[in-house]
Order: sequence, then C-alpha cells, then structure tokens
Amino acid sequence: MPQLELVLPAVVFAPFAAAALALWVGKFAGQRTGVLMVLAAAGSFLGCLQLAAAGTPVGFVREWIPSLTVSLSLRADPFGLFFALLISGIGTLVGIYALGYMPALAPRRLGQFYAALLAFMGAMLGVALSDDLILLFVFWEATSVTSFILIGFWYEQEEGRKGAWTALQVTALGGMVMLAGFILVGLTCGTYSLQQLTQSRELQARLAESSAFVPALLLILAGALTKSAQWPFHFWLPRAMVAPTPVSTYLHAATMVKAGIFLLGRMLPLFGAAWLWTPVLLPIGLATFLLGAYQALTATDLKAILARSTVSTLGLFTAIYGMATPEQDALGIFAHATYKGALFLIAGIVEHATHTRDIRQLGGLRHRMPVTFTLAVIAAASMAGFYPLLGFHAKEAYYESLLHAPLLAGSGLQAAVIVLSVVANALIFAAAVRFVAGIFLGKPSEHVGHAHEASPVLWGPPAILAGLALVMGLLAPTTEHLANAFSSHLGASIHVAFVPAPGWPLALSAITTGLGILFFWARAGLDALRGWRPAWLSTEYLWDAAMAGVVAGATAFSSRWQSGSLRWYLSGTLMFTVGLSGLALWHGGLSLRDVVVHFEEMQWYGVALCAMLTASAVMVVRSRTRIGAALALTANGFLTAALFVVYRSPDILLTQILIESVSTIFILLVLYFMPPFRIDGFSPMRKAFHVALSLAVGVCIFTFIMFSTSPAFRETHNLAADYLTRSLADAGGANAVNVIIVDFRAIDTNAEITVLMVVGLLVYGLLRSRRRSP
Amino acid sequence: MTGDTPILRTVARFAVPLTAGVSVIIFLQGHNLPGGGFIAGVMAAGAGAMYLLAFGVAKAARIRWWKVSVVGLLISVLTGTGALLAGRSYMDHEIWHFHLPIVGEYELPTATFFDLGVYLIVLGTLMTIFVEMAQEEGR
Repeated sequence: MPQLELVLPAVVFAPFAAAALALWVGKFAGQRTGVLMVLAAAGSFLGCLQLAAAGTPVGFVREWIPSLTVSLSLRADPFGLFFALLISGIGTLVGIYALGYMPALAPRRLGQFYAALLAFMGAMLGVALSDDLILLFVFWEATSVTSFILIGFWYEQEEGRKGAWTALQVTALGGMVMLAGFILVGLTCGTYSLQQLTQSRELQARLAESSAFVPALLLILAGALTKSAQWPFHFWLPRAMVAPTPVSTYLHAATMVKAGIFLLGRMLPLFGAAWLWTPVLLPIGLATFLLGAYQALTATDLKAILARSTVSTLGLFTAIYGMATPEQDALGIFAHATYKGALFLIAGIVEHATHTRDIRQLGGLRHRMPVTFTLAVIAAASMAGFYPLLGFHAKEAYYESLLHAPLLAGSGLQAAVIVLSVVANALIFAAAVRFVAGIFLGKPSEHVGHAHEASPVLWGPPAILAGLALVMGLLAPTTEHLANAFSSHLGASIHVAFVPAPGWPLALSAITTGLGILFFWARAGLDALRGWRPAWLSTEYLWDAAMAGVVAGATAFSSRWQSGSLRWYLSGTLMFTVGLSGLALWHGGLSLRDVVVHFEEMQWYGVALCAMLTASAVMVVRSRTRIGAALALTANGFLTAALFVVYRSPDILLTQILIESVSTIFILLVLYFMPPFRIDGFSPMRKAFHVALSLAVGVCIFTFIMFSTSPAFRETHNLAADYLTRSLADAGGANAVNVIIVDFRAIDTNAEITVLMVVGLLVYGLLRSRRRSP
Repeated sequence: MTGDTPILRTVARFAVPLTAGVSVIIFLQGHNLPGGGFIAGVMAAGAGAMYLLAFGVAKAARIRWWKVSVVGLLISVLTGTGALLAGRSYMDHEIWHFHLPIVGEYELPTATFFDLGVYLIVLGTLMTIFVEMAQEEGR
C-alpha cells in the first residue's frame, strides 16, 4: 500500500513542520500555540494507529548517503510502533495539560516552548521508528538538544541553566560514544539497517567473530545507559527536574529516558548472546534499581521523589534486558508510563495549587482536591503494585521471569537478584505510599490554606493515564494480547491473569507489600542512612569536578597560548614555518650546500640593490624608535620592488609597491597606539632566541627560493610551465598569476578572502565595542 | 593625523579619482595583463586612505565598509555556487562570449565575477581597518 508507506514519514516529520509553524504562530498566539502541539501529537497518534492496524510492519526507504550505505529508512515494527504510540499519545495529553499549566509569559517565548516540545516529539518518534542506525543517532541527538532547550526553559535561574547543561553533557556525550559503536557495527557488517542486523544470523555471526564486537557493544551500551540515567550517570535526571512539569512528565517519565531502554531492546537480538552483556547490564540495572528506590523514599521534593523512582524503574528495565527476558518489556514500560506520567502531572497540579513541592510542607489536601486525590491514589497504587492495577501485573511478570530466567536458573545469583528486587520494589512501594500520604492525608498544613481543585484541563490528562492503569489492569486478556504483540521479543507469551494464580510470584508480591509497609514506617531510620557517604564520593560530584577540570584546563591552555603578546604569536608562526620547511628540506635531503649560485651572472645593479636591502634590514633592527624601524622597513619593501623591476615581473612589482604603500599607511595609523618601544629591556637569552629564529627563517626561505628557481628543480617539478600553458587554453586568461588566484586555486582564494573579511569584521567589532564602553 | 592640510586636499581632489579609476582598469585587465582583484582592491584602498587623510574620517566613514566586504564575499561564493547548481564542481569557471555592437567580440570569464568579490573584500576590509583606526585616534 503506497499511501500507508507515506504515513510513516508523515508521522515522524509532521511534528518538525509543526515546530517550525509554532515558532511563527507563537508570536501572535502565545499560549494557544499549545493547540498545535495537541493536534500534531494526536495526528501522529492516529497515524501510528493506522500503521498498527496494517498488521505487517510497514517500511519506508529513501536514499540518503548511498556512498556510506546510510539511508533514510523508517520501519514500523511492533516494538517501535508501541513506543511511537506512547510518545504521540502522551504527547497529546501533555499538550492539553500544558494549555492549563504554562504561566502567562511573552507569546514569543511560549511559541518557542511549544516549538521545542514539538521538535522533541518528532525526534523521539524518529528514534522509535528509525530502521537505520545513523538515522537513529541523528534523532537521538536531536532529542538531547531539544531536551536541553526544554529543561533550560527557566534559563534566568542558575538551577535551570545548570540542570539543562548537565543533561546535555551526559546525554549528548553518551550519544556520540554510541555513534562510534554504531559505526563499528556498520563497518563490520556492511549495513546500518536494524532489520537486517537483527534478523540475519550471518551478519550476527560476522559481528560476533570480529574484534570490533566488544568495543561496539560497550560504546552502544554507554549511549543507552547515559540516556536512561543509569548509575553512574543517574545524576542528570533529578537535576533536570527544574524543567516545567509538562516537560518533566513527557521527557523524564514517559519518553526520552526510555530511549536508552528502547535501544537495549533493539540491541538485544544483536548483542544478547555476548558474554559481556549480562555482567555489564545486570549489576548496573540492579544497582540503579535499588539506589533510585532508596533515594525516592528519602527525597523531599515531589518531583525529585518521582525522578528518583523513575531512575529506579529504568534500572529495573536495564536488568530485565540484562537477563535477556524481554518478553515483558511492553507491559512494564506501558505500566510505568501511565502511572508515572499521571503522578508527575499530579505533582504539577499540587505545585500549582500550593506553590510548593516540598512534601514536608504539604498534607491534608484530600478534602480540598478530591479529584486529584482519587487519581493520585489510583496512580500510586499502580506504582506500588496493588492488585488489580497494571503495575501489579507488571510486577508479577517480572517476578515470574526472575524465577524462570534461563541465565539465572538454579544459581546462587538467582536468589541474590530476587532478594534485591524485592527490597527495591518494597522501597518503591513505600515511596508511592509516602507520595499520597504526604500530600493528601494528615492535617492540612498552612501551605494548603487556599488550595482548591484544579480545572479539568489539568486533571483530565492524568485521569486518562490513571484510568488506563486501572482499566488495562482489569481487562487482563486484552492486556496480555497487547503486551505480547508489542513486545520487542517476537512471539512473546507472558500471561496476565485477572485472578492471579497462587505461586511464587504472588508470594513475592505479598512479601514486597509487607516489606514496603515496614519501610514506610521505618522511613525516618532509612533517611539517617544517607549520612554515611562523604560528599565527594558521588558520581555527581566527580562529574562536576571533571567538567570543572576541563574548563580550568582549557582556560589555562588558552591564557598560556593566547597570551595577547604579538611577539609570542609571531615567534610561534615563524617557528612553525621554519619547522615545516626545515622538515621538507630534510626529507628531500637538501641543504645549503646544494644551492647553486652563479656569481658571474650578477650585474652591478643587482649587487647594489642587495647591498641597499641589507643595509635597510640592518637599520630596521638597529633603530631606536618605532617610527625609524617603520621607515626602514618601508625602504626595504620598495627596494624589494626595485628587485622585481630588474627581474621583469610587473605583476608582482605592482603588488609589492601597493602593499608597501598601504602597509606604511597602516603602520603610521597604529603607531599612535603602540606601547613604548623598549627593545633594550630584553634578556640576553631572549635576544639570542630572536636572533636564532631570524637566522633560521632567513636560511630556510633563502634555500627554498634558490631551489625553486634552480634549473635542476625546474626540469623535474615544473609546475610553473604547466600553469603557464594551461592558463590561456583552459581559463582564457593570459595573466597566469591572476588565473591561478581566481580559477585554478579559486577555492583556496575563497578561504583566504573569507579570513580577510572576518579579520575586518573583528577589527570593526572590537574597536567599536571598546569605544562604546567607557 | 587627519589634520587640515590644504596641499594634501588639493592633490587628493585629483589623485583620489585618478587612483580609483586606475584601480578599476587594473581590475578589468587583470585576466590578461598585470592586475587583478587583489592588487586593484589594494590600490582602491590606497585611494580611500588618501581620501581619509585629506578630507577627514567622518566623510570616509559615511560608507559602511564592512558591508562592502560582506557583499564581496557573497559575490565570490555565489559565483562558485553557480557552477554547483549547473551540475559541475564548486568554483568551476567558464568563459562567456558576447557580441557587442562597438567593441566586437568580447570574452567574459565568470572568474571575473569571482575577482570582483576579491576586489570588494580587499577594499572593504582595508577601509574598515583604516576608518576604525583613524576614529580610534580621534578619540
């Protein structure tokens, strides 16, 4: 079906077009630009539904960079489509919510906000639906960049800038590392197509045998783990909570942080058999699972609680892929997206109503905000894993897979993983209970005094999400069917039963609940555990220190090399010139001894000119005043011009005279600003260095010129004759010098004149700004 | 140093247009005879400097010289891009032949447009620096 094939790029690129439109429309429409977001997201959602209804995966391939086997290739397989539905569906809800949430700001700024949100959605859909690894990378980095803009929305605040900056550092760097991994895979296998890579046994075998296998695996994992905020890169996510709440919901609960998880799901068929896969992913996943859950229970900021628990759940997914038990992934990811999205939106509603996000200052809101309270109870119950909500089924499926994972079965490791998982889940349970209890139960605090229920625009979107968590939990057979159909594992067969069968998973759930209640009561004691660790022993601190080190190093390097001393710059340039030409001479086995000088050919005027040139050069050096040196230099230049008269080179003669005139004017203009001429102040060492450098430059340039004009050189490397013969024939110009400049070497000239223009602009800008400032 | 000098002013009244005119001739003949965009631009800047010295910075600064250099770069780059659009490589020049009524057969290489860009950039940049420096001094 050709129309269906075109739906795929429309789904991905329409949000980008809408983003461009939003930038423009936003100038007039302001807050109402959000309607565009809702429409674009809903449109993409419908497009995805149409693709899902097709039954078979739809593909769209166009040539992009054929020479590198990179193509613009999209593919709607079930797992990608599942993600795309999640992205566009929650995008619609977040768009509606933002209409009620975003404060009245300058219209232009709101337009920019929605444009960034739309572009982010497009990039995210691109990640989900790309079939080409390079294309996936491009979209991947686009999500990093757009999320940087979104997190830094409150850029007036130090925290906002810092949070955005950290997120960009970690995720964009991770993405670039991942690109290196992709390229290794592409070079080894000769294709970047995910479909081919994951389905062809032959390509997988070729990759597994190559030496690039382990580096590629580790590089790609680095990209996935940074994006999904896994330990030790988890710190960027809580910092990113400075973003407006719709952004936090969309990026940091429902979509972007799951991109890393999504990539793991994509890579599992390719790398899952590697011996490194489980030892890397399982410990990192479980550590993040546990650490995040603990921090979620002890955090005090509402969004921090949710962010930490998100980190924790992402750790759970990493562990699931690490154990190569991907059958449950769609169920787990969907369950998390619904309850966590709802809770984030509810946190935003509470902040809107009470102007605080500190859970210690909240309480007793249940009477004032009954609807929000009900929704929070449903969503938190799903998070805690209460029967019969979707979260319960996800947890059951997880315990089920722990008991039967082929990688673990029967080993001591299995028991350890089960114990850690139960503890972490119990902590999450306690955090969910605390979230509801802390905000809505107990006595009203003074902060909730004037709080009132939010408008339907605000509670509608979380109501839909919480409703999904409830309804999907109740409709067990439908949930089972969808979870299996959309899993990254083809032919998944997990069981979701309305009435849970008695057995170990149910027992583990019961233990989790009991332990969770215990943790909730003992949370003050758990909080005290935090003090054991010194501040410097956190990856967050180490990362900041490393980044500060990079900046300090760059500053030190720049201030050393870019010292502002013109003598230092000139010495550096000359040293480089001498070094390069010296190397060339040495490489060619040439030295001064090979220069042929015919003294019998020299005429009296040649000798006289050379004597005057030498005399003027000595005068430049011996002059006690700057103007004296300048005049001697000018004399030297005009004498050089006279030399060209002798050698009948009118073009260069003209150039030389003009350049000399203009540079004399120039020197006279700048003379006024120069610091005192203190040539005697130099140390003997420095003088010796200057003399040595000058001598080296003189000898090198002299040798070079003598070689290039020697008959022996002309016979062997006759570039000049080539240019001279081709000048008129190929370029229609008799002046070979000019033809070289404007035709043969036009691209060089192009670069040179660009530099020249930039220099002019810099002088203009620098002097103007200096004059304007007092 | 931009003092009121009647002698310089009298000379400049003739010398500036003369130098500027010669620079145009040198530019036009550049493809076949000594000349070309670069030195013609330098010569025009020399004329500009003479004008600046004789009549003062304020008059010389009436033209935004940096804009001249930007226009120059645009002309150069667009000349090269023209070949690109015609399906050949960047900066691939060709020669246009015209049949003009009086001059007769006339050759115009597209490289001349590129050279015009060079001319304007050299003139614009040098004049920017001269004018800014001279204004700095007048402070």
